[in-house]
Amino acid sequence: MQLKKKSVLGNAIASAACSLLGALPSTHVVAADATVPATAPAKGPWTVDTALLYYGESDGRVKDKSLRMAIQRAFDEDRALSIDIAVDSLTGASPTGAVPSDVPQTFTRPSAGGTYQAAPGQLPLDDTFKDTRFAIAADWLQPIGEYSRVDVGASASTEYDYQHLGANARLEFDFNQRNTTLFVGAAYGQETIDPVGGAPIPLAPMQGVGNSSSKLGSDSKNVIDGLVGISQILSRRSALTLTYSYSQQSGYLNDPYKILTVVDPVTGRPVAGPSPGLGLYLYDSRPDSRARHGLFGEWRHAFDRDSMAVSFRLMSDDWGVKSSTAEARYRWNLGARSYLEPQIRFYHQGAADFYHSYLVSGQPLPQFASADYRLAQMNAVTTGVKYGRRTGVGDFSVRLEYYKQTTQSADPKIGVLANYDLVPSMSAVIVQFGYKINF
Amino acid sequence: MELHRMMFVLAAVACALVTSGCAAVKPWERDLHAREDMQPDKLDLAIDEHIYFSKEASSGGRSFGGGGCGCN
Repeated sequence: MQLKKKSVLGNAIASAACSLLGALPSTHVVAADATVPATAPAKGPWTVDTALLYYGESDGRVKDKSLRMAIQRAFDEDRALSIDIAVDSLTGASPTGAVPSDVPQTFTRPSAGGTYQAAPGQLPLDDTFKDTRFAIAADWLQPIGEYSRVDVGASASTEYDYQHLGANARLEFDFNQRNTTLFVGAAYGQETIDPVGGAPIPLAPMQGVGNSSSKLGSDSKNVIDGLVGISQILSRRSALTLTYSYSQQSGYLNDPYKILTVVDPVTGRPVAGPSPGLGLYLYDSRPDSRARHGLFGEWRHAFDRDSMAVSFRLMSDDWGVKSSTAEARYRWNLGARSYLEPQIRFYHQGAADFYHSYLVSGQPLPQFASADYRLAQMNAVTTGVKYGRRTGVGDFSVRLEYYKQTTQSADPKIGVLANYDLVPSMSAVIVQFGYKINF
Repeated sequence: MELHRMMFVLAAVACALVTSGCAAVKPWERDLHAREDMQPDKLDLAIDEHIYFSKEASSGGRSFGGGGCGCN
């Protein structure tokens, strides 16, 4: 049975927070154990969670300064409105996919309005990378009867060269004395890509300044997501969630800013392209559809004072990418008002079927090819720690993370390529300040 | 086939959970589950998901696959 008016926020928090666990009746939400720290007393209908994020990659690559807000307004009868806002400011340089060489290399900027160079031995980076992203999402949570809920939402985001509109819905059903929750969800996204200088024709050669013959206009794609899962309370201390997800993308899935070097089969140097002074660099070409399956599981366990969460994820798609992810967090409650939370994550992916570090001159062109390092074989490790403190004016937190990515090239290193890392490793530092208030 | 294999695993585990007798936890025994530190931090998860979406070939799984970003 639900409480009527005693604690509107308590009901809302109960509903939102426990939806993953098989929502328990609000009357039992307040933690009974007086020694347990950090359970927020219900005060008001508004909760505002804010984070200021800095993400910085090594070697002058991508930097992101981001502001995030998650605002929730709780209403009577377990209803709640959530609004999430994100503003990202991106700068820096991004690998183009071209390989280093022992000769200077010149590239045309995506706008075709100028050139940039890579010195001998240097990884070609497009240093014009700059964008501002604004994203907003709204969700409405509504009970349907006593044992089920629906969450419907919409999202939109805009960047200089990219727009997104989306809608999503999720249904949850409790049964088995609310020890079990089944959930099912679906989402649809429509995305428009309007790359600087136009969307390149797949595998067309990079042209010189002022020549846009390899480029077309804007393009689009759509994304359909579905998921189904179960949350089960295993014991007084443990809960398990399992989710199967499916995602289908179709439309323009190329990266318009990525290229592949065509190298000489003996020397490994770029062969001459159609424009004077430029090597032969071909634009990214990927299939126009991608279907992905995922299996996700998370186990949460409460100790008397602390708690921990362990999760795994297996994914597989029809581009040939298979990945596995394991993640663990331990929440060490230092006292009633502060905590320390170390976390670690391991990630491995196999390369996409059409990933190539480069193409070889004289060999037949494949239908699809990409030198995007994100489609290469990869291992990544994230280590981090979060510190949080509750004060009379809200909850403050700081999170530090270190992300280290190592990628491997499957292609043999011919000629001068033997001297270089064709897909260099990347590391990034993440610093996040958080502030959460309820009123 | 991947889909069938994953669905089979999920269905098998789901059946095992529902029928395993782990339903013995009564509402009044769920105080630990209600603790704030037992709830996922949605904002942190969204931030992490956005970073990994931008830098890796797989995304989503916990929830929807992500999107609305030209970064991947």
